[in-house]
This record gives sequence, C-alpha cells and structure tokens, in this order.
Amino acid sequence: MGPPPDRPGRERSAGPAATIVEGLKGAGVSLAAYVPDSLLRSTFRLLREDPDIRTVQTSNEADLPGIVVGAYLGGVRAVLMMENSGIRQGCEPIARFTYSYRFPMVMLLSHRGGFPEPTWWGHAHAQTMAPILDALRVPWRLLETPEEVGPAVAGAFTHSRSSQWPVALVLSGECLER
Amino acid sequence: MQRRDVLSTLARLVTPEDLVVTWRSTTWDDWAELAPAGARNTLPLAILGSISTTALGLAIALPYRRVVAVESDGSVLMNAGAMATLGAERPPNLTVVVLDNGMYESIGGPPTLTARHADLARMAEGAGCPNSLAVDGQAALEEAAARLLDDGEMGYLVARIKPGRPAGTPRTPMTWPRTDGVEDKYRFLRYVEELEGIVIHPDPGPGPGRVGG
Repeated sequence: MGPPPDRPGRERSAGPAATIVEGLKGAGVSLAAYVPDSLLRSTFRLLREDPDIRTVQTSNEADLPGIVVGAYLGGVRAVLMMENSGIRQGCEPIARFTYSYRFPMVMLLSHRGGFPEPTWWGHAHAQTMAPILDALRVPWRLLETPEEVGPAVAGAFTHSRSSQWPVALVLSGECLER
Repeated sequence: MQRRDVLSTLARLVTPEDLVVTWRSTTWDDWAELAPAGARNTLPLAILGSISTTALGLAIALPYRRVVAVESDGSVLMNAGAMATLGAERPPNLTVVVLDNGMYESIGGPPTLTARHADLARMAEGAGCPNSLAVDGQAALEEAAARLLDDGEMGYLVARIKPGRPAGTPRTPMTWPRTDGVEDKYRFLRYVEELEGIVIHPDPGPGPGRVGG
C-alpha cells in the first residue's frame, strides 16, 4: 500500500515540476527525502510517482539529514527537500553532521517569503533563511527557473562531495507554484 | 540485564557483513570492545535523534544488507517523530535496538521520560513499526534479537536495562577517545566501500547506486 493520492484541483501545469524532476534524475538523484510544502507540491507529486526515484516523506525536517547521510554512505545520491523554514527545524542535526563529521549534503529549499510574498507568516522564512545558512557557513545559490535546477544540482553534488560539506539550492521564481 | 549484556548478545548475532549505526558514548565504549571485526562495520554518531534516521537511509540505499540501529532512550525521545517515518517506510532489512535505561547515563544519570510514563515499544507500534516489542530479561532478549534480525522484516526492539556496567568489569582502553567524528566517518565509509566494492569518496559522479520505486 503506497501513500494516499494527492488532493486534486489545486495543480497548475506540471511543466516546471516535470523539468525539476528531470533535472534531478539527470544529476543522478535516486532518493529524495522531504517534508512536503505547497510551493513544490507538483514536484513532490511527480517524485512520488516516478519509478526511478525513491521518496521518503517525513513529518519533521530534523529527520532529513540522517536519511541523506545514510544514503550517501550506501553510495546513493540523495537530496533533502523542504521549505526554507525547515532550515530552522533541521538546524541542529545539520550542524552536527556538518561540523562534527563533515558530511556532504545537497539541500533544495523552496523560497517562501520571496518577492512578492502574499502571506503574513511567510516573510519570516525568507528573513531567517539567509542568516541561518550563512551562520552555518553553508554555501547557497538562488535559482529562478526550473531549467537551472538540473545543472545546479549536479554542481551541488560535485561541490558538496569534494568539500565534504553541505550545499543549499534555493528554488524561487518560476520554480514555485503559488 | 545491563547494556553490556545486550551488546554481548548483539555481538554474537551481528556479522561483519552487517552495518551498524550506534550512539557514540557509553554504548560505543562497550560495542567497540565487543563487536565483531573491531566494530569497523559501525558508525558511531554523537547526534541524538539522528541514529535511526541514518540507519534508515543506509537500509534504503543497501536493501540487501542487514542494518542495525543501536539506539538509546534519550536519542529516540529527542526525535520521536522519526518512529512514524520508520513505520511508513518499514525497510525489511532494518532492525532498531533501543537500550532503554531510563536515564541520560553518559552525562551522570538524570532521568529520561521513559523513567516516567513513556513506553517506547508501544510508541513504535503506534507509529506503524512492525515487530515492536520490549524485553526485560536476557532469555527474552536473545530470542527476540535473533528472530528480529533474521525475519526479513523491520523490527523495533526495546531492551529495558539497568544502568551501569557489571561490578568488577575493567574499563578497557577504547578507541573512541582517540578518534573524532571525521575519522569515524572515513573509517566507516572505507569499510562500506570495501564491503560493497564501490567508490563513495572521492565522488565518482552519477552512476550505479540507484534505488528504485
């Protein structure tokens, strides 16, 4: 028995999401561990449906670093995906795996709070994201289009694994659904 | 039943072909001495709350290999929601063994919440983990550990133990005070490379190592 089907009706074109998923596959990703969010909802749906990608959905961003580190040690290219607010929740295990062990980790964050943010509660996510990533000394890049994702993920694996340190890619603009 | 009894039992059941992720402190102290192959098959983590999740990632990546997470009550309680992730994924090659002494023994013994009313085996069962059970004595432990490691299903075994080590057990010089996390990582990583015949570091680029579905 797999996960329950997604609620239909709120989806726009799957175009950007399909481009993101193809980009991940092109970069050799075969496992995605994530906490779902609305800005990438079609991407998560396509990932769950894709036979070439194993997904692990969790309820807490603090679960994610361990899963991708374990996958790395098993020789698998895994990405950690969450809304940018998740960097707050996942900060402690990310800091420990990074500073105590120097484990590589490729993170994809959806950029809640980018211009123009319509919700009152979303601004905090953008306001705290950059200072926390910088405090953790995690190099990060902002991506505006789905076409950028594949090459950026491939580059992030190269950078993260050679440095044995995390890299974060922040998906914004046309990568996201509103 | 104390920590060393559980670890001695596991040391008889776990082979060098299995992979182990464990709490790096009091547990690692004894496990490094008792485990087969000098515990080269073991990743000790000083990260409460991330031991089971790391074992989960490893079990998914290497579905044909047995993976054992040697947990502590303090670690499980720090990220109890991970039980629901384990219960959703249920990797058949993963067994979690929790050493539940009801206290944070490595920092001098303040109680954990299993010393109050929290019941980890019932929590795991409620979170969807198959084969969840608690044992209090040596005979039950040996039966359950052997069965859960060999049954081809995920298991979640809570060993309720008394704190400390048996009276008169000498503290042998351990490897762990001499290594740090980075050395522990590379030692384990090189062991997996050798065991699997793969290259993990430096990064060989995209290639084999896919996990399906």
